[in-house]
Amino acid sequence: MLRGYLRELWHWWVDGWNRFWFSPADPATLGLLRALAGGMLLYTHAVWSLGLNDFFGPYSWVSPQAARELYRGDVPWSWFWHISSPTLLWLLHTAALVVMAMFALGLFSRVTAVLSWLCAVAYAHRVPGALFGLDQINAMLAMYLMLGPCGAAWSVDRWIARWRSGRPLPPAVPSTAANLAVRLIQVHMCVIYFFAGVSKLQGQSWWAGTALWGAVANLEYQTLDLTWMCHTPWLVALLTQATVWWELFFCVLVWPRLLRPLVLAFAVPLHLGIAVGMGMVTFGLVMLIGCASFVPPWLVRRLLGGGPAVPPAGVESGAPRAGRAMRRRRGARG
Amino acid sequence: MPTWGRRLASGALAFHLVGILVGPLSLPPALLADYLRRVYSPYIEAAYLDNAYKFFAPDPGPSHLIRWTAVMPDGSRRQGLLPDRQQHWPRLFYHRHFMLSEFLAGQPDPNWDPDTPWERLPNSELQRLLARSFARHLLYKLGAQSVTLELIEHALPNPEQVQQGLRLDDPSLYRSRKLGTYRRRGE
Repeated sequence: MLRGYLRELWHWWVDGWNRFWFSPADPATLGLLRALAGGMLLYTHAVWSLGLNDFFGPYSWVSPQAARELYRGDVPWSWFWHISSPTLLWLLHTAALVVMAMFALGLFSRVTAVLSWLCAVAYAHRVPGALFGLDQINAMLAMYLMLGPCGAAWSVDRWIARWRSGRPLPPAVPSTAANLAVRLIQVHMCVIYFFAGVSKLQGQSWWAGTALWGAVANLEYQTLDLTWMCHTPWLVALLTQATVWWELFFCVLVWPRLLRPLVLAFAVPLHLGIAVGMGMVTFGLVMLIGCASFVPPWLVRRLLGGGPAVPPAGVESGAPRAGRAMRRRRGARG
Repeated sequence: MPTWGRRLASGALAFHLVGILVGPLSLPPALLADYLRRVYSPYIEAAYLDNAYKFFAPDPGPSHLIRWTAVMPDGSRRQGLLPDRQQHWPRLFYHRHFMLSEFLAGQPDPNWDPDTPWERLPNSELQRLLARSFARHLLYKLGAQSVTLELIEHALPNPEQVQQGLRLDDPSLYRSRKLGTYRRRGE
């Protein structure tokens, strides 16, 4: 009996694993993520231009020597360790911005995706101390986007291919790599939210329901005065605990089809609240870009109006079934 | 995808998925994470995956700023703040500077005595290292003779205090301690 159970468990696990990771999917979601994450990478790194020497030069806030000591010998790679000439620094920075702009637009996507990820990591490694969650999510998105055909939809690459062929192109071919890349982003987002939630449970104020006040009353973060909340402690407690519970259970509740829209809908006010109230617009938006990985390809096509936008038959609206539905449609057309 | 390709990809996926857990599991230090780190360090550090994702945790706390005073070659003084809303714009640029002061403040001496008043806490080795680097940057950028750095802690008022009319920038919420005075050659 035990053997039978274990065999069934094994098959269930293998089938589920293969279906989850290796089903072909329409690259529409991946293409959208490339455009959004690429735009964010470009903006984030363009802002370094305002203080390039202040952060990356030989006399930067955290000098190369200080950064090396901070890393205690395990200095991570970055080409910035080897640059002291301001001219060369600006040349490389300009090249990085051009690469990221091409990536956002979807031009030579497979190459610029890899280069954009390398750039994002090289910048992050050089400036310990000036980083925050935005940089972590930027690098994470860039890493996974380079694994899939992120230029197969909503890209200049696609537009050029159509222009060369002289007629409308058929819908992008469903691809296992597209599914794999989107799945990795989805799983990583689950890991991020889960640990963000668990770590809050180590704090007394999140448990007590007062932590949100700590964000509201922090003048250095504040961009919108929400101190009127001092008169509504119940609201502070509700929002504090809703945040913790949502983060903790995101990794479970985001998968069922019927719950997914609700879970993602909660992300919008949460992250826009961080963006508008605490001045962390880039961080709020990049988290929403990560959440957009859960938007199924058929819905992306419906919203953006490119190609067929029919929800897949059956109940599942995730990437793999959308891929199957697309194959069925293509098959029907012969 | 052929079966061998799927197996290979599955192995790589399993390796990677465990890898992205190492960062979050390592803070605060944990035995399991220590073991995993021996295998995963090169990978997660090279790929910038060594992140704990502890946003505003365990508790949102006071914020920290650095006030600098530079003595110029003609004897005049210049003052500034890190971060400075008026100077550091757009907001992301401000936030980069804000993270610098928070990063310095977040490196306390591991052997600090909790009974010592914050104003008299000794600066840790890492705080001294960062302060030296910040000062060197200012000396170079401003062409100053010397730079004095102060770490400022801005406490959060509780809701009752705000109800009673306390402003978020009330002077009673600030306290400071000196990080050091740095001259062109050495401290």
